[in-house]
This record gives sequence, structure tokens and C-alpha cells, in this order.
Amino acid sequence: MRKLLVIALVAASLTACRGGETTTDAGGIKTDVGVTKEPCPQAIDQAKGCIYLGIISDLTEGPFKALAVPITEAQKAFWKRVNEAGGIGGYEIDVTKFVKDNKYNPQTHKEVWDQIKGQVLALAQTLGSPTTAAIMSDLKSGNVVAVPASWTSQWAFDDVIIESGANYCIESMNSLDYAVEKYKSKSVLAVHYAGDYGDDAAAGVKFAAEKLGLTFSHLKTDAGADKQAGAIAEIVGKKPDLVILTTGPTETATIVGQAAARGYTGRFIGTSPTWNPALLQSAAAPALLALYEQSAPWNSWTTNTPGHEALRKALTGVTALSEGYTAGWVWSYPLKAALQKATANKDLTRAGLLAAVKSLDSVDYEGMLPTGAGNFKAGATGQVKVTAIYKPDKAGVTGVSLVKDLFVGPTAQAYTLDSACFNKL
Amino acid sequence: MDELLESVVRGLGRGSVYALLALGFVIIFKATRVISFAQPAFMLAGAVMVTYLVGPLGFWGALAAATVLTGLLALGVERTAVRPMVGRPAFVVAIITLGVDIAVRVIVNAYIGNDVRQVGDPWGLSRVELAGLIIEKRDVARIVTAAVLVAALFAYFRFTRMGLAMRAASYDQEAAMAQGVSVGGVFAVSWAMAGGLAAVAGTFVAVGENVDGLMWTIALVALPVIILGGLDSPAGAVLGGVIVGVLQELVAGYQSHFPWLGGNISVITPYVVMLIVLLVKPYGLFGTREVERV
Amino acid sequence: MRGRPLLYTSYRADMALLNTPAKRVSLGLLVLLGLALPFLLQDSTLNLLAMGCVAAIGAIGLGLVTGYAGQVSLGHAFFFGIGAYTSALVSGETGVRTMGLGVPNLLVWLPAAGLVALLFGVLVAPLATRLRGLYLAIVTLGLVFIGQHVFGEWGSLTGGTGVGRAPARLELFGYDVAATDSMGTREQKSFWLMFSLLIVFALAARNLARSKVGRAFTAIRDRDIAAGVIGVNLSRYKTIAFAVSSFYAGCAGALLYPLVGFIEPGTFSLLLSVQYIAMVLIGGAGTISGAIAGAFFITLLPSLTRGLQPLVPFISTSPTELPNIFQVETILYGVLVIGFLIFEPRGLFGIWIRVRTYWKTWPFSY
Repeated sequence: MRKLLVIALVAASLTACRGGETTTDAGGIKTDVGVTKEPCPQAIDQAKGCIYLGIISDLTEGPFKALAVPITEAQKAFWKRVNEAGGIGGYEIDVTKFVKDNKYNPQTHKEVWDQIKGQVLALAQTLGSPTTAAIMSDLKSGNVVAVPASWTSQWAFDDVIIESGANYCIESMNSLDYAVEKYKSKSVLAVHYAGDYGDDAAAGVKFAAEKLGLTFSHLKTDAGADKQAGAIAEIVGKKPDLVILTTGPTETATIVGQAAARGYTGRFIGTSPTWNPALLQSAAAPALLALYEQSAPWNSWTTNTPGHEALRKALTGVTALSEGYTAGWVWSYPLKAALQKATANKDLTRAGLLAAVKSLDSVDYEGMLPTGAGNFKAGATGQVKVTAIYKPDKAGVTGVSLVKDLFVGPTAQAYTLDSACFNKL
Repeated sequence: MDELLESVVRGLGRGSVYALLALGFVIIFKATRVISFAQPAFMLAGAVMVTYLVGPLGFWGALAAATVLTGLLALGVERTAVRPMVGRPAFVVAIITLGVDIAVRVIVNAYIGNDVRQVGDPWGLSRVELAGLIIEKRDVARIVTAAVLVAALFAYFRFTRMGLAMRAASYDQEAAMAQGVSVGGVFAVSWAMAGGLAAVAGTFVAVGENVDGLMWTIALVALPVIILGGLDSPAGAVLGGVIVGVLQELVAGYQSHFPWLGGNISVITPYVVMLIVLLVKPYGLFGTREVERV
Repeated sequence: MRGRPLLYTSYRADMALLNTPAKRVSLGLLVLLGLALPFLLQDSTLNLLAMGCVAAIGAIGLGLVTGYAGQVSLGHAFFFGIGAYTSALVSGETGVRTMGLGVPNLLVWLPAAGLVALLFGVLVAPLATRLRGLYLAIVTLGLVFIGQHVFGEWGSLTGGTGVGRAPARLELFGYDVAATDSMGTREQKSFWLMFSLLIVFALAARNLARSKVGRAFTAIRDRDIAAGVIGVNLSRYKTIAFAVSSFYAGCAGALLYPLVGFIEPGTFSLLLSVQYIAMVLIGGAGTISGAIAGAFFITLLPSLTRGLQPLVPFISTSPTELPNIFQVETILYGVLVIGFLIFEPRGLFGIWIRVRTYWKTWPFSY
């Protein structure tokens, strides 16, 4: 008798663990994990079912909190708009129930993922590379599609990650093309964080510098305004024509402000995470206005495209604007396209969604990125390579104004991405 | 040569801030024999308060207000979380202060929001020429402020009743109590003072810079500083702070000569210096050697 | 002696590894429970518990040096990192960015990780034995910062800051523990593995604690000068304490990251060291079972505070509002640690002692 009980218990718990049986709904769409017939918690139409998407982001005390929070808000607004427009294939999408804080720690990331993985179809955001790497094997073995919140070139080589915009590597190549054309720069110094953010950009700079015949050097620096003394000394000492920055906003202000104060007169170009509109109130503002420009993988908040207009409408009333909102919004389009394709294929299982991603040859970004962007079918060769250049401007809503619209430089155009750039630095 | 001397001045500015931070740690240690890991949070809190108050009150007014408010915050923490632990092992209390640090920092982070903030100081990045050297005004401001505060504190310990009581209590709590010193009062004043010092230090870290959530890490440099100077020596804290500040600037300025050490070696310089000094002097430069009976 | 369980007729029986019947029975029950748990719990919970087991191994190690020998070390994260990277180096293959020796057998990389960490422990010991109290704590903290710098810079070993590398593989003589097969799922098998390792490490530590070495440790903790006077070789035993503790930390570091899935150099920070100190203090310093309890407490606490989300419906789930659930979650972690230490400074073990005394003297308890 007792034996029987044990066996029953074991059997029951084993099935309880696995879950996620494939079922077919009334519309003939196959579903498994994270899709329910019951409406979403905040459903607009109670008759529709619900697709649950998870968000794992840096929401309280990690280093990317200032970007992560706007990204998350923009994504909520994005999916709310999708729901208001009638949802996808008889379902609405929920991105509010499974929002988790990773504190930018791989272990925490893994723990919260374990907690939600039985309940979500895909990840609407997984922030950070080391953190995402901790769950990558799980994502791959479970066919879970995930939207990243960074622009590293590694994502081009992971099928389950659906990235948008040019990666840091390509972006710095474009920056260099731009600087050589406009400022006739002869030497370049890359000041960068360690890791796939900074190293990726520095590798792009290195490649472009070799191509364009500039003298190249690079210097690793750390997060924290007080830790930039070495970088400043290097810039002031070497006096390169151009400095490419891949740091955070406070570090940018410190480096640009103090290098300028100590007599440096060359140019700075920073990737998009180096900028924050509030820097215009800082003591470094005059130096930033004079010497700094920002590269960006897509156009800023104020641009006139249907996508940007929808973004502004969805987020009216937001004070303290930052480009994090734009980023969160743009990043969400590929997942929307994939969900639409999967429902059209009548297969909304995880495997079905991944298959839909792999068959996407373009994504409708509503004009925010050029047509043809989002070619996941082509893998690494389908990468979008456009970059825009902005400069600080007190009149701009997000503190910047456009210098050069989206372009692909000759160096990036000719470059074939064959493995993650940061490995080549 | 000018480059070297300018580095030294920058280092003195940096060191002044470290000295203020380290003094806070030492004051708390002398009173309660505990290292308070809540100091980083108080530092951040002080700087963020200044960023909010600078509009209505101006820089100096905001600084004064933030110093008092952070002092009160520290006092509150002492009464609720630390006082019940009197007589418990120092490390239990240290872990409690770490809990406080996490809690306070999360709240402060929320007030920083998504943007960076400024303390609105009058100096910015402007510079003056002094004896042929080009010096940033904010470094002068840091050095002068720290010098004034340190002098005031030392005078306070030396000449006031409460200062005497604090010195007595740090010698021997029970004997001090028997002489009518309110040891509880000493604890309270020490924590409040340390909180205020952290607020001033935080503000002067942010002078000419921006305040973001990562700024608290600077306060950790005070840990090797106090060990270097000797845990229970205020003078050691000041000297240790200055030494570490100058060394860090020099290493940063000349790190390109030592590429094999890796990038940004100046970040770990304080710890290396601390280890070397401790090999020679196990109680730091000015620490009191423990004399114990069996 | 039946019926008089607490009567010892020999010193040997008094000092036995499990000296009371209650201990023997409860250990047996715990082992049974541990073996049965993988059938009763969800995979995600199991993975968390497996991490708890590994954390417990690390906490036991720190407990030996801090709880038994009284030498507070904030350098645990450094030894943890050394263990993690040694194991990853031994077990991994040479890739684009990182090097590896390609020996995936757990029985090779686990001892290797422990021994390399032990070696570093012994190297550090001469400095550590000269210092006491907070001086020692902050000097060991210095190790963590220097270690982080080295880990961050040494790209071919660690992958570098922000990139990291894959951890060791859980493989025993070619059998992959971390793969779902007919024996069970990946989480079930890794839990069993970590649980059995925890038992081995815990018994070994308890055995050490009851030996001559363990008595020397407690003598040093209680009064090092007195211990020196009665003939305990202080520097020798402090070195042993550091060595053993580092060995445990190295093994725990090696075992933890296969469960996490990734090693990032930034992980081995002050925060990690502090977590382990908190485990030891919350569990109850100077006990093995306390360290284990503390390790599970700290490992499970974040998911516990996360689980409180539905219970506080009036707090916003939007990260832009103030206060929001994520802030509450993090603050709660701090507050729970504070509250715990204020109300029960002897830790979980103290609570257990109180409960035990209450029932031992029942109905005459007060």
C-alpha cells in the first residue's frame, strides 16, 4: 500500500514538474507553455486568450538601472498598444505579470528565470550579456525566443536572440568613417569598459582604423566617475584626433569635461549608452557641446516616423525622457513580427515561435529602421548596419539633435561579421 | 615636473575626500568598536539630498541642510538598528549595518531616478593658475573644506565637554560610565557626526561631476585608508586618506608606463599599499597596539 | 545503557561524531528527506536547493575559520573565484577566448579546485596570522579587490569582465550529470550530487571540529593569547584554519557555477563575501549545522521576498513608481537580515537551542 502511494506520488510529481503539454485552441493554433485560454490579468477584451512574456531586467541597484527602467516601461507600452489594436491571432500579450529584477547578477538572473520559465512563452527582455549567458543553454534547449537589451555582436550568432539595430562593432566602424570624412582624423583612441559592450566597440574601431590607415590604441576603464583618472591622463598625454567612448553617462561627462579642461581639443564620439540628457546640466556641458557627438543605432525620440509617433503617443506624460524608451520600443518589433508569423502558421508553441523567427526575412519597424532590417533568416549576414550621428543640443527634447541621418559607412558595408567582434580585440 | 605637481594637487583633492570619509569610519569605530558599512549609503544620501536642495537653498545652504539631515538619518539608524546590539560581537553589528546600507541605497537610488544629478556647486571644472601650476578650483575647495572640518573636529575632541566624553568612552566605556559620561549619548553623537561627514564627503566627490547610483563605491576606498592609518586614529585616517589619494592620482597618471599591470591599476592601489604597510606595521601607521592580559 | 541515552561511559563515546541518538536519527531522516525531495519538488526549486547545498559547503568552510577559529575573513569570494576558475580551466576546452585543459571528470576538477584555493590560503596565511579582528577582515577584503582586478584582466582564464566563461561540467567518468535522461532530470540529478557532496563535506568538517585541530581552533577563538600560553601553536593552527576554509571555498566555487550556468569575474566581489559571512552569523557561528541552515536561509531568502509580491497588492509593480515591488523586495532582504540578527543574535542555531530546551524540560519549561 505504502509502496503504491510512493509510486503515485512520484508519478504525480514527475508530471507536475514537466507541464507544458501541447494543446490546440479553438482557432486551430497549437500552443504549449505560456499561452492560456483565460484572458490576461489586465485584458482589454475578456474573450481573448493570453500570451505571457517575461521581462528580466536591472530594476533597482544594478549599473544599468537608469536605462533598464525606461526600456521596461516602453516595452509595456508597446505591448499595450498591440493589445489595443486587437492583439495577435486571438490573443492578447501580457508583459506585466512576469517582470523580474536581476540586479545585473548572473546567479539572480538564473534564479528568476527558473522561477518563471514554466509560465512564459518567450522573454520580452533579457538584460545584460553575462546574465543572459547564464540562461542561454536553457533558452536554446527549450527553444525560448528572447529579446536582448544590448547591441553586442554576439547576438548575431545566437538563433534564439532577436536583436535590433547595428551592433557596437558596426556602429564604431560607422563612427570612424564619419570622423575621417568630417574631421580628417589621423589617430584614434578607444576608451572602453571591459566586456562585450566596450570590447565590441573597440574591436570595431580597431578594424576600421586598420582599414582607413589611422593609428589605433585602446584603453580599458572601469565604471565610476572616480576611476577615470587613468583614461584622462592617457587622452591628454597621447592627444589622439579622435576618442571613441564606450562607457556610461557619468564617466563620459568626467572624461570629456576633464580632458577638455586639461587642454585636449580632439573629438569624442560615444555610443548611445554614453549619453544622458541630464549631462547638459553638468559642469562638463560646455565641453560636451564643443567636442562630443553620439552615435546611435536608430533615430531619437523626436523623429517623424509612424513608429516614433506611436511611441510618443503611447508614452505621453513621461517626464525625464531618455533614449531608453526608444530602445525598448524598437527592440520589441521583431518579437511582434514573430508572434504574428507564428499565429499565421498556426503554431504558437515555443518551437513554432522559434521557427517563425528563423523564417523572418524582414520586420516592419514602422519606419524606425530601414526596410529590410530584421532579416533573421539570413543570420549574421542579415545584420542591419545603419548608424545615425547626434550632437548634444540644449534645444533637443532628449538633449540631442541630428547631425547625420542613418547611414552605412563603406567600412561597415564591406565588413562580414563572422564571429563576435569582442573576441578579436 | 608641472605635470607631476598637478597630479599631486589633484591627489590632495581626492585624498581630502577620502580623509573625511575615513574620519567617519574612525569616529564610529572609536565609539562603538564597529565598522559601519552603512557609510557608503549615507554618503550617497547626502549627495542626493544636496542635488534636491540646491535649488531653493543654494550650494552652501543645501550642503549644511544635507549634512544635518544625513546626520539625523544616521542617528535614527543608530537608535533603531545598532543600539539594541550593544555588547554583541562586532561582526554581527557590521552585518546589520550592511543590511542598512542595502536598504538605504535602494531608497536613495529611487530618488536619483533615470537621470544623473548635479550638486550645483560654484566651481564646476574651472581652473586657476597658482605658482605656475594649473589647478582645478574644486580641488582647492576640497582641500580647504577638509582642512577646516578636520581642524574643527580635532578642536572639538580636544576642547569640548562632549569631545572629552567621547575620548573617555573610547578608552574604557565602563570607567567612563562610572564617571557619569553618557555612553549612549556618545554613540549617538558619533553616528550623527559620521553621517554628516559622509554627506559632506559625498557632496565634494560630486563637485564638478555627476551623481549616479554607482557613486557609493568610492566610500569603500575609505576601508583600506583606515587600516593604513590605524583603525582608531583620526590623524591616521586623515594622513592615510591623503597618501592614498595622491598615490592613486600618480599611478593613474603614469600607468601607461606599466601596461603589464592591466588597465586602471589605480583602483586597487589602496589595497596594495595597505597590504604592504601591514606587513611592516600590523596596526597601521598610527593604530594603537592592543595590549592584552590573559 | 538502554534508556539512558545521554550517559557516556567512555570519552570516546562522548566525542563521537554523532554523540546522541537524536543526532543519529535526525541525520538519517535528513538524508532520507534529501533523497526523496527531487520527487516532490519542482525542478526550479530543486536547482535553488542544489545551490543551497553548495552554498552550505562554502559556509561550512567559512564557519571553520570564522566560527570555530574566530578569524573573520572577508576574503571568501576570492577563494571562491579561484575554485571556480580552476575547475573551469581543468574541465573546459580551449575556445576562442578562453583556455582549458579538457578534463571534464568531476573527481579531477573538484579536488584540483580545492587544492589550488588551499594553496592560496596557505600563501595568504603568513599575513593573516599576524593580524586580528577588523584588521584581518579588511585585509582579506583587500584580497577580494585585488582578485577581482586579476580575474578581470586575465582574459584567457576568465574571459574578462563582462564576458566571462562557461563553468566546469558536471561529469563523472564520462557520465553527464547535467543532462536529463532516464535516471532523472538535470535538476534532480544535480541536487542528488550536491546533496551527497554536502553530507561528505559536512561530516568531514564536523570530524575536524571534534579533533585536536578543532579544539585548538576554539581555544584560539576564545582567547588566542591563553591558547598560545598553553601550547597551541598559533600561526600553525591559524594557517590550517585558513587552508581548510579555502579548500572548502574552492570546492564550493567549483560546484556552484555549473548550477548557475556562467562565471562572470564581477561575481567574486565584496557582496559575495558578505553573503557568506551573513550565512555563518545567521546560522549561528561555531556550529556546522548552523552554517548549513544559514546557507539555505540566505540562498532561499531572495526567492522568498520575491514570492511576497502577490501578498502586497497595494505596491506598484511598475519600476518607475515609488515605492515599487522591486525596491521593497531588495529592502526586505536587508531588513530581514537586520531583524534576524537583532532578535536572535545566536542565529538559527540559537532558535533551535531554545526550542530544544523548551521541549526537554516540558512541562516544566518557563
